[in-house]
Amino acid sequence: MEYKQLLISSIQALRINKLRTSLTMLGIIIGISSVILIVSIGQGAVAFVTNELSSFGTNIFSINPGGSLISATAGGSNTLTMEDVEAIKNDKSLSNIDKIAIVGQGTANISANEIDKSFLIQGVNHEMYDVIKPDIIYGEFLSEENVAASEKVAVMGIDAVEDFFGEDTDPTGEKIKINNISFRIIGVGKTTSVLFGGIFNNMVFIPIDIMFDEILGREYIQEIDISVKDVDTMNQTITDVETLLRDRHNLKEDEDNDFIIQSFQDFLSTTETITNLLTLMVASISAISLVVGGVGVMNIMFVSVTERTREIGLLKAIGAKEKDILIQFLIEAIVMTSIGGIIGIILGILGSFIISLAVGIPFVVSALSVVIAVGVSMIVGIVFGIYPARRASKLSPIDALRYE
Amino acid sequence: MRKPPLIELKNIIKRYPLENGEYYQALSGINLKVQSGEFVAIMGPSGSGKSTLMHILGVLDVATGGKYFFKEKDITANTSDQLADIRNKEIGFIFQTFNLLPRTTVYKNVERPMLYAKILPEERDKRVMDILKLVGIDDKANSLSNKISGGQIQRVAIARALIMNPSIILADEPTGNLDTATSHEIMNFLKELNKNGHTIILITHEEDIANFTKRKIRMIDGKIVSDTKKT
Repeated sequence: MEYKQLLISSIQALRINKLRTSLTMLGIIIGISSVILIVSIGQGAVAFVTNELSSFGTNIFSINPGGSLISATAGGSNTLTMEDVEAIKNDKSLSNIDKIAIVGQGTANISANEIDKSFLIQGVNHEMYDVIKPDIIYGEFLSEENVAASEKVAVMGIDAVEDFFGEDTDPTGEKIKINNISFRIIGVGKTTSVLFGGIFNNMVFIPIDIMFDEILGREYIQEIDISVKDVDTMNQTITDVETLLRDRHNLKEDEDNDFIIQSFQDFLSTTETITNLLTLMVASISAISLVVGGVGVMNIMFVSVTERTREIGLLKAIGAKEKDILIQFLIEAIVMTSIGGIIGIILGILGSFIISLAVGIPFVVSALSVVIAVGVSMIVGIVFGIYPARRASKLSPIDALRYE
Repeated sequence: MRKPPLIELKNIIKRYPLENGEYYQALSGINLKVQSGEFVAIMGPSGSGKSTLMHILGVLDVATGGKYFFKEKDITANTSDQLADIRNKEIGFIFQTFNLLPRTTVYKNVERPMLYAKILPEERDKRVMDILKLVGIDDKANSLSNKISGGQIQRVAIARALIMNPSIILADEPTGNLDTATSHEIMNFLKELNKNGHTIILITHEEDIANFTKRKIRMIDGKIVSDTKKT
């Protein structure tokens, strides 16, 4: 029988039981739409992080103390020194280096405007500005002179200002006390980066040496951020800095680094790997619902074969071969899962569009995931339709005709 | 010289296994020849084996023993696909009930056997319309099979049985569900077809229906007990 005719008669057969067909399709629709939705959200998240990081600058790499990222952020190790920074600055072969921002971080007691709070503060040098590139709302960021002369001045993040002085207030010129030492506020900054804004906007910045001497009571570098002039040769610069630091730290060849160098490229690919892995995991879980949908299709196909046993007998009496019956029922299953798949794709795309609007991540639907979804729904139709279809095709014509 | 028979059954036996390990013998050594152009009624009470015989004649079922020659060819050991091909091209069926595909148009019902024979669309269309005209229901071509009367259903069934221009038409109690007037109308139509050269075998337990035919075969307990031709 011609495939066009088979398709027409399959659709006809499915239309006879509209409610049953649509309920069966529902399983496939839910499965496909959730896979599309999750993959789309995952890809949207990756796109979001990528955009964020690229706006921050892909020409930056950071050095943290300690052998692992955990010990570095926990503030345990003290393997980076100002001498290291000076060595990097003074190394003539490292001409690709543009700016070097130094960060020393700690918690301090801040009181201002009769408010007393424990607060996270960072001691930085003036080049921090060039690395983060914050918007300066009032006043200015720490200048080279401020830092060099260890002046008792502070720059606050916009949210930190709100905590002490209230919204939309210009606090420049005001005094704040950090661990009972008086600082003059010289500027207020803000960054719109969602990834870094949470840290920057809630921070108080002071010159790095005062941080070491007066607040931390020791020289402890939390992070060194280095920007390069030429991104293409950044990897070479990273290797050179690594070699320099290993030499300075007297590390033997078989010893691991006592510091961590990470570029935003690394961070980007790590984030992408994690997000993709998570997306894959959740998509696999929702793919289980596809299998459940497939079992539903098989169940309904069995019901259909039983109900239409006499029809199968009649078709065999007028000349249908086993193959004709097999293909007819198989096409019915495939048509059902394919239509379900297409509806699922539409709903999935619609859902991810709405979610992307609501959450504020880019709307991404990859053509590949759509193609895979269509393919998978057709395969579900074949896999779960073949057994009932085979059973129909193997019925003896006379038994089928006599079936009550 | 006498023409070779269209159908020849030699010592056909049909047994159905029973649950207790024994079997029920539905046909016990049937020998039968049917020539082209005959109009035959197979008669008998229920349980006489007349339906089983018709199923074997129509290759809907296979015999347990004996030989079946169709157009002089032994088809006893044919595969299911070969038998499907014979049903498609050589035999037209008319059943008592469940004759048409449900919720499908008259046109599509009549067209269906040609789809299995892979006949081209233009040819199919011409044949369907010609045959519907012949059976007098061309105005119902687009009606659904469940929206027409019993007599019309049997006419559609006849049209479908004729569409492949088969060697033989097998009718299983074709008037069983019809009132007397419609029954006679259908029988007259079959008689007309026979006059035009179609070979027809029908199963009936009604004498007045059998009277339309030219040969009556009576069966009891799986055996042919009489075979008489109208002179």
